[in-house]
Amino acid sequence: MSDRLDLPQGTLDLLILKSLSLAPQHGWAISERIHQVSRETLQVPQGSLYPALHRLERQGWISAEWGASDNNRRAKFYELTRAGRRQLEAETDAWKKLTDAVDLVLRMA
Amino acid sequence: MFADLRLRLRALFQRAQMEQELENELRFHLDRETEKHVRAGMSLADARRRARLEFGGVERIKDDVRDARGVGALDRVTQDLRYAARMLRARPGFTAAIVLTLGLGIGANAAMFGIIDRLLFRAPKYLIAPERVHRVFVSYIWDAQPRTERSIEYVRYTNLSAWTNAFDVTAVAAYRNLAVGTGDAAREMPVAVTSASFFDLFSAHPVIGRWFSREEDKPPMGTTVAVISYPYWQLTYAGSPNVLGRTLQIDRRIYTIVGVAPPGFVGITDQSSPAAFIPASAFAGSRNANYDHEYGWSWLDMFARRKETVPVTAANAELSTAYARTWDSEREASGSSGVTSRDAQARAFAAPVQLSRGPDAGPESKVASWVMAVAAIVLLIACANVANLLLARAVARRREIALRLALGVTRWRLIQQLLTETMLLAALGAIAGVAFAQWGGAALRTLILRDAEVSPVVQDPRTLLFVAGAALIVAVLTGLAPALQAAQADVAGTLKAGAREGTYHRSRLRTALLLFQGAFSLVLLVGAGLFMRSLANVRAERLGYDVDAVVYAEGVDRGVNLTDAAARALIQRLQDAARSTPGVTSASLTISVPFWSSEGRGAPKVPGRDSLSRLGRFMLQAGSPSYFETLGTRILRGRSFTESDNERAPPVALVSETMARVVWPGQDALGKVMRIGTDTMPYMTVIGVVEDIRSRDIRGDREFTYYMPIAQYNARYGDARPAFFIRTSGNAADFAPVLQRRMQREMPGASYIRAMPLRSLVAPQEQSWQFGATMFVAFGGLALVLAAIGLYSVVTYAVAQRVHELGVRIALGADVGDVVRLVLRQGVLFALGGIAIGSAIAIVAARAVQPLLYRESAYDIVVYGAVAALLLTVAVIATLRPALWATRVNPTEALRSD
Repeated sequence: MSDRLDLPQGTLDLLILKSLSLAPQHGWAISERIHQVSRETLQVPQGSLYPALHRLERQGWISAEWGASDNNRRAKFYELTRAGRRQLEAETDAWKKLTDAVDLVLRMA
Repeated sequence: MFADLRLRLRALFQRAQMEQELENELRFHLDRETEKHVRAGMSLADARRRARLEFGGVERIKDDVRDARGVGALDRVTQDLRYAARMLRARPGFTAAIVLTLGLGIGANAAMFGIIDRLLFRAPKYLIAPERVHRVFVSYIWDAQPRTERSIEYVRYTNLSAWTNAFDVTAVAAYRNLAVGTGDAAREMPVAVTSASFFDLFSAHPVIGRWFSREEDKPPMGTTVAVISYPYWQLTYAGSPNVLGRTLQIDRRIYTIVGVAPPGFVGITDQSSPAAFIPASAFAGSRNANYDHEYGWSWLDMFARRKETVPVTAANAELSTAYARTWDSEREASGSSGVTSRDAQARAFAAPVQLSRGPDAGPESKVASWVMAVAAIVLLIACANVANLLLARAVARRREIALRLALGVTRWRLIQQLLTETMLLAALGAIAGVAFAQWGGAALRTLILRDAEVSPVVQDPRTLLFVAGAALIVAVLTGLAPALQAAQADVAGTLKAGAREGTYHRSRLRTALLLFQGAFSLVLLVGAGLFMRSLANVRAERLGYDVDAVVYAEGVDRGVNLTDAAARALIQRLQDAARSTPGVTSASLTISVPFWSSEGRGAPKVPGRDSLSRLGRFMLQAGSPSYFETLGTRILRGRSFTESDNERAPPVALVSETMARVVWPGQDALGKVMRIGTDTMPYMTVIGVVEDIRSRDIRGDREFTYYMPIAQYNARYGDARPAFFIRTSGNAADFAPVLQRRMQREMPGASYIRAMPLRSLVAPQEQSWQFGATMFVAFGGLALVLAAIGLYSVVTYAVAQRVHELGVRIALGADVGDVVRLVLRQGVLFALGGIAIGSAIAIVAARAVQPLLYRESAYDIVVYGAVAALLLTVAVIATLRPALWATRVNPTEALRSD
């Protein structure tokens, strides 16, 4: 438990977009995927996940559609739109720049 | 952007579905989470609990999602609305009082707006480019008086059209009451007599058939084709498409129906919609063979659509030049007698199509504008009242508001919420207002617009838009002050102040509102008084004849050609029929009818005097020996006509009092001579002087009238039409239909009798005062009631606030009289303040109202005094109840109540 980290402000959107870049996912799968891919380090705060999804949908970066999940239940699947893909690239760049810079400062200072 | 809009729209319209989807989405998540825990070895119950715990509050997440979606603001509004509705329901009496007050205020304005809009702003339906379509007026100086007219001759219309270049379309129209149909089905109905070009002014197309063409409107005789109106088609032909090609008698000729006008198409008229449209040439040709080349018969209104590139001034210049040319060619045609166009300053100009905006505007449009202002004042009073009530309640709600502020509601949210409440009240008021306007507006419209057709309020989008705007203004006006006051609330102070809701203190704003109400009630009531006295003055005015006892009846000829002898026999039979009708005391032939038709033969010539025409207009009347007895016009000196004043006897005349004094100043008119027309005409000897009459303008100067025996008139000018004054022993209005039936039996062919009480011809003359008086009384009364309610509620509230103080006073020995005086004093002071301010306003406004009054000073001290007394009385009555209530304050209870 102690190796879990809270997400820094503003990174949730980036993670959601990234985890949708391969295939459409429903909300639960997104949070699971982030959790797994981060080797169980990152725990998506569940209270923020859905507001974030709906906000991204409103911004036009992801779109939603109801479909059948793997156990054949109806679930709401989110998919990256073209605008979302561009946004993902931009945000990834920005993030890389930020972490590189922070890294640099930490090493040098 | 698009996604955003789509989602917001969904949020608005598919709210339930979205909520359901959100619910499903979150449930799915929880289920999957539970499954995961179960797979990891937990019991189902534990897994579910753990999933919920990790997930957090579902409702809070839903809220966050809604916010993320942007539906939060909308939610707040609905929440505010619900809260407001709850507050209003909690105090039904208070709510009803406000809705009623606003409803009356808004309703009065909605009704007036409909009328003003109709009179002044709205263009006729289907009219293309109304801002460029004009009604043509001509003006000139005649008998040393400037005159402006809109009726012109057909030939002048063709001249003006040919000699101007400023217009795309020129057209003429005359709306006449003509007999439509044959036999028993014949009815007198308004018919539009128009040029074929008239339809080019509109974007309307006939629902079936076609308009008539220029070919069919060719002088002199035209073609007898007609387009019938939509309502007439529905009513008479049940909307049958087979109506085309059928025939219909209109006036003297038989017309073939070639089309049906679209619904709502009336052409350009303020009066009731016409039953049919017929070519001007077809109508004129049956009346007057020379209409298309001779001047003299002015019967048409001319309309013209200005070319886009031509400014009004240029169009007017062209019209004036063309009109001067017609004036001079008319002069030439009459052998160059009369004044030149230059001397007459003949000119023509393009005015708006709406008569009320043109030079011919009746007093009703002016009065209506005044009443609109009055209605606006009533609405302001209503707003003041409501603001006052809301302020009073805001004080009572101080603790609630302070508590909410203390709990962290922002002041802006609070203002939003209070404004939502007034918005809701205003909306309810608007609904009530539309109901009032619908119901009271019908009465109003018939009063001002008479038989004009106006769509009722609920079907008129313009009026509804106006109501919505008014309601919005009302909401802001009434809501702002209480909301701002609430937002300034001193939280700690109020909460600390304890149950006694602070101490009594007067609000300056509320005092101002109350004074404002009182002042404007006084202004409106003074207006009511002035108009009522004007109306009474008009009614009391002697017109020189008895209005209520006399019926006017005339035979309308419909193409029945009678020999002179047969026509004379018919007149005799009609006169006998009238005289033998029970209740009829006398009857006389006539050639002129007051406010209806008149005959002028120019100024008489008198030996030893220069032209009399510059003195004013002289009117000729001719009648039977029983004429003066029938009309009740008093003979002041000399004698009336007798049977022996016939065509073989020497010519005689009676003159009106003023005419006698002006034509023969300082002499006795009896025995003097005068003649009409050319010098070859014989002199008439004046045998009597009668009282003056008014037959053209009820407010106008005294008219010059002279009377000839009908026998001598007929011998000189040809036989007069069958037109009669009939004196009855009762109310003429009751006799008119009886006489109509009785005399109708004598009429040959399709000819018929038209009979009406003289009062119906005079009444429209009194209309603007009648209207002003009714409106000011209604609105003034409304304002007074509102002010009284306002005063009552304020004083009652003040008493409630002062219970403690009053308790102390009573405990200290104040008696009943002292307490009553204390409270009454407040009401009386308010009334006196209102009277002082209101009188000042009324005196300032008086100058503008003066021209609308009749023989009544706008500064009439009696009216001011009476209204002030009324206001004081009402103030005392409104304060009496709270005053009595104050005396019943129980000092022990009042002092202990803390």
